[in-house]
Amino acid sequence: MDLTLAQGIVKASALLGAGLCMGMGALGPGVGEGFVAGKACEGIARSPENASLITRTMLVGQAVSESTGIYSLVIALLLIFST
Amino acid sequence: MAKKKNPMLKIFLIFFIIEIILVFLSGNFSRQLQVGFENKKFVLRNIEFHYDLQDEITEEFQIDEYNRQNNITPDVYGSEKIYDLFKRFFGAPTALGTFQLLRMILIVDIVLLFMALYIRKHLLARPSKSQLIFELIYTSLEEFVTETLGKEKANYTPYIVTLFIFIWVCNMIGMIPIPGFMEPTRNLNVPLGLGFMVVIVVHFTAIKMKGAWKHFQNYINPIKNPLCLLDIVGEMSKVVSISFRLFGNILGGAIIILVVSSLVSFVVFPVGLNLFFGMFVGTIQAFVFTMLALTYIGVEISE
Repeated sequence: MDLTLAQGIVKASALLGAGLCMGMGALGPGVGEGFVAGKACEGIARSPENASLITRTMLVGQAVSESTGIYSLVIALLLIFST
Repeated sequence: MAKKKNPMLKIFLIFFIIEIILVFLSGNFSRQLQVGFENKKFVLRNIEFHYDLQDEITEEFQIDEYNRQNNITPDVYGSEKIYDLFKRFFGAPTALGTFQLLRMILIVDIVLLFMALYIRKHLLARPSKSQLIFELIYTSLEEFVTETLGKEKANYTPYIVTLFIFIWVCNMIGMIPIPGFMEPTRNLNVPLGLGFMVVIVVHFTAIKMKGAWKHFQNYINPIKNPLCLLDIVGEMSKVVSISFRLFGNILGGAIIILVVSSLVSFVVFPVGLNLFFGMFVGTIQAFVFTMLALTYIGVEISE
């Protein structure tokens, strides 16, 4: 694969952008999912008989709050594979 | 009590020993063990091989791009006459990736049909195991529907259950270790189509509940609803968010499985990765998709 200088710069900046996108995009979902898990722990400690309901709600909430991270993953993949 | 010998245990032990021998024979990462038949002779040798992860990922996920890079043209099956006829109507031949996607969707449909027919044939008053699983799925989802939409709107249950089972089978079928098998949800077109379907069902429900004129006034009348332009954008973003979530999760899981299994030379670790990214994430995402569709419908009904 022979690249000119301009193509090389574009490719390099796209790869750098993909790394930055993934690293920054993972911050928010990490904090959010940890927060949800902590609250679920508190809820289970307060009422252990509702543990299964709380766990189910927690998983759905985490999957929804994960979506911003997933968007950044999609954009990172676009940057890597389509430039 | 005499100890019963398990024949399966012996077979597993033999496979385990063979695997250990193969692992030790195969050497380091730049060499690979070749086992098989060549010119009617059994061959067992170490070969140099060049492994490029980028090429592998391109071949797995962007087969059209891979064929373009390596100048592979898909074969034409059938007669030239039919090919010309199709070309006249549909233009140039379809890319191979689309064909793979359609084949996987067909396989999923056949699996679903077979499951439905099998379970209907063996329907019992005292349910068997497979019937129990499906009754569990149906009753639990029906419970969710009646909780969100109310008792009189339980006729949305078949749509929700179909959505869940279809997406779940789509996510599970990628775990079958046959070359060329992939999750249909890995391609963006399938989740996008499902998302559009959800939004169409939502608007159909709203029109049925409130009437067409009253519903569309929300989107075109700036006096009644000052933020009508934002609402149109919101409808678009509904489709994007619900479909990109499913697509990104499945695609990311598949890429992580591919990358990690290239690092550990296909020993044991990919099994655990498949368990997490295939079963756990697949089930959760199918559930989340159906739950979001249900809440979108519920918002329109409760207004």
